[in-house]
Amino acid sequence: MDPDAVAKAFVEHYYSTFDGNRPGLVSLYQEGSMLTFEGQKIQGSQNIVAKLTSLPFNQCKHNITTVDCQPSGPAGGMLVFVSGNLQLAGEQHALKFSQMFHLISNQGTYYVFNDIFRLNYA
Amino acid sequence: MFIFLFSFAKNIFNFILEISTMAETNKGMEEEVASAFVNHYYHLFDNDRSSLSTLYNATSLLTFEGQKIYGVEDISNKLKQLPFDQCRHSISTVDSQPSSIAGGCGGIIVFVSGSLQLHGEDHPLRFSQTFHLIPVLQGSFFVQNEMFRLNYG
Repeated sequence: MDPDAVAKAFVEHYYSTFDGNRPGLVSLYQEGSMLTFEGQKIQGSQNIVAKLTSLPFNQCKHNITTVDCQPSGPAGGMLVFVSGNLQLAGEQHALKFSQMFHLISNQGTYYVFNDIFRLNYA
Repeated sequence: MFIFLFSFAKNIFNFILEISTMAETNKGMEEEVASAFVNHYYHLFDNDRSSLSTLYNATSLLTFEGQKIYGVEDISNKLKQLPFDQCRHSISTVDSQPSSIAGGCGGIIVFVSGSLQLHGEDHPLRFSQTFHLIPVLQGSFFVQNEMFRLNYG
């Protein structure tokens, strides 16, 4: 499958899970996965999902502006670089963000090994 | 007597500082590498752009505002041909993580955000940039992957 198409499909799946079923993100990470969320480092799918489900908002919607991807090396991994905005329920203005995923292939599907998230302040 | 106590306390303080720095270094080697790399990369970019070619090789990939460029020659040409002579990067955040499991290839992912002031322009441009650094034998790193995006307001 075309890598750009894989990256797009993953991004759509990730953010629709985040926006519609945040605990479901647990299936996208594994024990060795790492998340850096606004500078805070978290390791392992349980801890990562605990962090994401405890963020101080219930409803949100990600709108993706750009998706760039590249193969990360001979082991078949993929780097995905996303920018977009995040609308929180009840907030007037959307927050702009950038996010980097490093996807590792595991028996035909991808999981997130590295995840780095930053808000983009004006 | 007082002076003696003061310098004694100062020595203890410096010793503790050194130990904690070493502990931090062992735990997060990628942070040191990322920090050193970022300083080096943007210093070259802003002062000696053609020397950026030393950071890439034939397998390097750059995606610049959506345009894909392969290999050190084409990447160097792209960066040299950007439509501005003088610029200054100001870095706001640097995040890093090892890109493989412990004992793996030792790659490091670096995620940068900041702003870029072009000479003669009123307002700086905000940007985000991702690097994937791979170690080479001599103890340094080269850029295998790089992706750059402006962040519009």
